[in-house]
Amino acid sequence: MTVAFYIMAAIAVLGAVMAIALRNVVHAVFSVLLFFSALAGLFILLLAEFIAVVQVLVYIGSVGILMLFAIMLTTKVTGDPTRKLLSRGWAWGGLVSGALLLAFLVPLITQSKSESNSQLSNFNPSVKDLGLTLMDPYFASVGVIALLLTAGLIAAVVAASSASGE
Amino acid sequence: MTMEVTDIVWVIVKAAMVAIALLSFSNLAVLAERKVSSWIQGRVGPNRTTLPLLGAIPILGTGLTRMGLFQPVADGLKLLLKEDPVPDHVNKFYFFLAPVASMIPAITIVVVLPFGQIIADGVASPLVLADLDIGILFIFAVSSLGVYGMILAGWASNSKYPFLGGIRSSAQMISYELSMGLSILPVFMWANAPGAETGLNLFSLVQHQQLVWGVIFMPFSALLFLISIFAETNRLPFDMPESESELVAGFNTEYGSFKFGLFFAAEYAHIIVGSGVFTVLFLGGWHPLPVYSSAISLPEGSVGTLLSIGIFLVKTFLVVFFFMWIRWTLPRFRYDQIMKLGWTMMLPLALVNLVLYAIILALMTPVTH
Amino acid sequence: MEITLNHYLILSAVLFTIGLIGALTRRHIIIMLVCLEIMLNAANLNLIAFWHFGPNPILLHGPLFTLFTIAIAATEAALGLALVLAIYRHFKTVDLEQVQDLKE
Repeated sequence: MTVAFYIMAAIAVLGAVMAIALRNVVHAVFSVLLFFSALAGLFILLLAEFIAVVQVLVYIGSVGILMLFAIMLTTKVTGDPTRKLLSRGWAWGGLVSGALLLAFLVPLITQSKSESNSQLSNFNPSVKDLGLTLMDPYFASVGVIALLLTAGLIAAVVAASSASGE
Repeated sequence: MTMEVTDIVWVIVKAAMVAIALLSFSNLAVLAERKVSSWIQGRVGPNRTTLPLLGAIPILGTGLTRMGLFQPVADGLKLLLKEDPVPDHVNKFYFFLAPVASMIPAITIVVVLPFGQIIADGVASPLVLADLDIGILFIFAVSSLGVYGMILAGWASNSKYPFLGGIRSSAQMISYELSMGLSILPVFMWANAPGAETGLNLFSLVQHQQLVWGVIFMPFSALLFLISIFAETNRLPFDMPESESELVAGFNTEYGSFKFGLFFAAEYAHIIVGSGVFTVLFLGGWHPLPVYSSAISLPEGSVGTLLSIGIFLVKTFLVVFFFMWIRWTLPRFRYDQIMKLGWTMMLPLALVNLVLYAIILALMTPVTH
Repeated sequence: MEITLNHYLILSAVLFTIGLIGALTRRHIIIMLVCLEIMLNAANLNLIAFWHFGPNPILLHGPLFTLFTIAIAATEAALGLALVLAIYRHFKTVDLEQVQDLKE
């Protein structure tokens, strides 16, 4: 378990770093796919198999393809090496992010005691339990999400087609 | 972990056996396609290729030669030994990755596909590499990765026709994934009606179909799903990505030799796996009759196991034959027709189908409170 | 050493920061969307980790909230990439620094 965690964590960090550091956008999207799959592995380690499969289905199966699609329609295969990588004021952005990381990490590292045993050992969450909980206490949320997805679908179609109508 | 070394070896051996079986079937499917096409077009098909020693055996050898059984060997050798051209203008890394990426999903899906049963002491257990609770979700997750092979090949080739093929394939596969997912929801609603606790497990779904096959209870779902797998496997009439009269050969135009062979084998592996999934979901897996009769049921022991595998394979191959039959019967759609069919026909029909079966199943369920 | 909740929290904090750095410093519009996805995923990891080590996992709060987040993230990605296409058709660039005019 420990080894698996460190391997997955290393792949996730590597994928994320490569995604933001690589100049070629297609390489960046493929590294983020690596990151997504490492997270799916971590979800399996945390006994959330259903979420892991949904992660693969939604992120690697759909979002990744959408990103590649958008890149294929907007950039050339070889990329454009002369284009600038960083935005203006990137130093400020880096500074703010670094400060935030420090704010996250200091309490986590200084705190010596941490929860290590899981209550999940005597309870295996099944898809059925998930579905029943989803349909009973969270029914309103499911409705809102369904509405949001429909609105998003229509908005995406409108945004993409109005541009081509010009 | 509690796993012994012998267990791990046994798992690897089983996995290798299934993978080898799938790959040999996909090679034979290529031969079957040629034979079926020649049969439909009133030709003879491959019947000359022979091996030096085997072909000389009096009746057996000539019979095998006439059946064209040595043809896959010759095809495979040809693809292996030919020069492997890599054009200068391609992106090398992704160009090599693409054929592999198109082969992986087909082999991975087989892991959760139950292909037989073992009955011991009256209790049936599945013959499957991994009996997942979320089997069908796993299949959807992995099959959605299949598009990467084509999109990569089209993009990395860095030339017009492959690029168009790649774009077309990804748009087509995303569109038909929706109706594919929606079309099988009624099946799992049916299998999870009160009194039946199937979950999303494929083995339990097959056992649930012992009374009546899915295709009889919900033929419309089966039709929608079948059309969707035609689109997902890029078979004619949906073979937009490689429509040879418009795009040369589509996404694999720049490929030759062994890499082309991988694409080719992957296509047939996808067809076989898709037919297997269809068999499990709608054709009752290894249950011999569409409607249950106590007179004909599989016996216990190894005979029953072999029979169940045999029945499953026969059904799968019949679906594969249907794939080929359609290919040599129907002409190709135009691209806008495919998108129109996917979004304005298949998707609404799948939704209507879902609502309809929700109502039917609710009416069938006895009110308890 | 045993893996504790803090390990997951530190990992998720690092991943979130990487995403934030990317979103604040890169100028390619698709990379910015990628960074948003990285940040959302880091948050999901937090949710699942808290659920796993939390006192009452039988309530399934973690997976449910993650499911909702994934649904929202998928909408965001689809809409965002549609906007990318619209911007590209209008401005002929994917460089956010050059997308400055509100009018023609």
